[in-house]
Amino acid sequence: MVGVVLRNVTKRWGSFTGVHAVDLVIGDREFVVFLGPSGCGKTTTMRMIAGLEDPSDGEILIGDRVVNDLEPKDRDVAMVFQNYGLYPNLTVYENIRFPLKVRRVDASTHDARVRKAAAMVELGDLLHRRPKELSGGQRQRVALARAIVREPAVFLMDEPLSNLDAKLRVSTRAQIKNLQHELKVTTIYVTHDQIEAMTLADRVVVMNKGRFQQVGTPTEIYDRPANTFVAGFIGSPAMNLMDGAVAAGVFEAPGVRVPGLVGYPDGPATLGFRAEDAEVAAGPGGEIAAPVYSIELLGDATLVSVRVGPALVAARAPKTFRAEIGDPVSFRIGAAGCHVFDSASGERIEPAPAMASPGPARADLGSTMPIGATA
Amino acid sequence: MKARTFALFIAPSVVLMILFIALPLASVLVQSFYNTRQVFEVVQVENCTPGFLTSVCTTEERSRPKLDAAGRPVLETTFVGLDTYRLLLQPEAVAQALSAGGGGLPALFNLDFYRALRFTLTFTLLTGPFVIGIGLAVALAVNGIVRSLRGPVIFIMLLPFIITPVIGALSIRWLFIGDGILTVALEWLLGRDLSLFAEGWTLEILMMLYRVWHVAPFAFVVFYAGLQTVDQDTLESAIVDGASRFERLRYVVVPHLMPLIVFVTLINLMDSYRVFEEVIGFSSQAHRISLQYLTYSYLTPDETGNRAISRASASSMLTMIGIVFILIPLLVRTWRDHRVTR
Repeated sequence: MVGVVLRNVTKRWGSFTGVHAVDLVIGDREFVVFLGPSGCGKTTTMRMIAGLEDPSDGEILIGDRVVNDLEPKDRDVAMVFQNYGLYPNLTVYENIRFPLKVRRVDASTHDARVRKAAAMVELGDLLHRRPKELSGGQRQRVALARAIVREPAVFLMDEPLSNLDAKLRVSTRAQIKNLQHELKVTTIYVTHDQIEAMTLADRVVVMNKGRFQQVGTPTEIYDRPANTFVAGFIGSPAMNLMDGAVAAGVFEAPGVRVPGLVGYPDGPATLGFRAEDAEVAAGPGGEIAAPVYSIELLGDATLVSVRVGPALVAARAPKTFRAEIGDPVSFRIGAAGCHVFDSASGERIEPAPAMASPGPARADLGSTMPIGATA
Repeated sequence: MKARTFALFIAPSVVLMILFIALPLASVLVQSFYNTRQVFEVVQVENCTPGFLTSVCTTEERSRPKLDAAGRPVLETTFVGLDTYRLLLQPEAVAQALSAGGGGLPALFNLDFYRALRFTLTFTLLTGPFVIGIGLAVALAVNGIVRSLRGPVIFIMLLPFIITPVIGALSIRWLFIGDGILTVALEWLLGRDLSLFAEGWTLEILMMLYRVWHVAPFAFVVFYAGLQTVDQDTLESAIVDGASRFERLRYVVVPHLMPLIVFVTLINLMDSYRVFEEVIGFSSQAHRISLQYLTYSYLTPDETGNRAISRASASSMLTMIGIVFILIPLLVRTWRDHRVTR
């Protein structure tokens, strides 16, 4: 069993702390995605696991070994980089073979292993080419083949799809998912793209400002965001967030009145709901009533936005819905689709257990994966 | 770019190149086929000394420079074809030296041209690898030190390159000549008397040391610039793939620097084949001369004020042909790379 364990791992540069004492247990064969905006410390965390950066504090375990003092090559990890990191002077074949060569693996096995790895990423007929004669997608597949040829204990992938165009990104993404399934190797994947995170991950680690915001399955992250950062980062569009106050089970903000929030403490709060959990109707009548700020046709739906105080709030209407900017509309949102966050800390507030509303907000989300639909 | 615009941009440098490179070269080539010398005439001179009864007169023939109406020596230029080259290359003497009992290589190297060629080639081929190697090593070292120290270190490293070549050679000479401090230090270390300027081979080593010291900073700066553009992802891939420091150098850094290494090698070959300052700075004429020095010495007027222009021309043509020959392998390599990468 080869998992990866982070214990209190911290990275400091002078007075700046890039990663704040993070803890994580990654199971064997698990596909974990570090997701966050640029500069959130996700790549640094991965580089510490690879051994390219030394943690300032804490322990990193791969399998049962503490690897803090091991060189990258002794950690039994393979890494795929955003800019491919291929050896431009070597052919594709030699690129894939490189890890075997420098690790002095028995030379008689090289050819078979290189060809097998190349076949797995469908590179078979490009082996004699040089990297500069390949397209971006092909280069990244060479990098993948070079990572798998050694059969490492852990794969590390640092934004491997970021340099590819949108169409290629989708197909390479599928290829990575399938590869991980075939090879059954623990994989850590860094990205800022939430769709990659949601589609690939067994578990997603959402990071911001050097801290883990939430660790959970894509469904958990989507359905029960732990704080306003996660809520505002995940989903397309991201969750709507409105500042207001809860009083006796009723959330109120300018132009907004959402009753039925049973079990939440009174006081200032941030209310969140997803665009697809609201119903749009022309004219007043819903929990939110305001003039249309913008209307976007997505093809499969129409996105209607209104202003609530400083925030822009969007809801998905059927694709046939039409309105002009300035027309009065209302959004109907049930209390079940609402998430309440502490307005000071941004943390999620669960309703008091005794009066909890039955069931999670939408139990069927995990299978339908709505965020993918808008991509 | 339009052909006309291109022509306008390129014209000044084409004109200057024709004026300062092509024409002089053609002129030198032509001069090497001609020989110019003073015309002498034989005159009968009668000298009479006062004597008893009759003066004693002797008539003798004497050759003297023919003068023209204005009193200047008359010059005559004749086409001699490759005669001047034969005079320089001395094929008969070479055959003689290399024939059985002819004295072999030592005898060959007694001939001025071959002595100069031997030294020039040794100098060129031995300094090159050291310039490249030391330049690369220093560049790697500087690239590895703390960022704040790099500026001052680079400045200090560049000093030898900034110094005027002859001054640099002189300063090295003064360090080692006679009781120069480094000679004294070496004598103290080795416990024996040294006279580095008395023998050819020690002088030769000093000259090469000087050249490496002088040119390595150039290689260093070029390589250091190249190191800044090494793909960090590739370097880190190699680290994770398990490559040792040396393997990273061999498979990532050196291939990346290869065009620069070829460039520095080309420049260095051309420069060191034209070695000249060292001969002057170290006053090594008695022991070691270079091809370029040979040309220079032909150009120096002899006691009668004559310069051996045609021999100097031939000698410099031979030097140029030598450079072309020595560059061919590298140029072929670059051309092949260029064609592969398109």
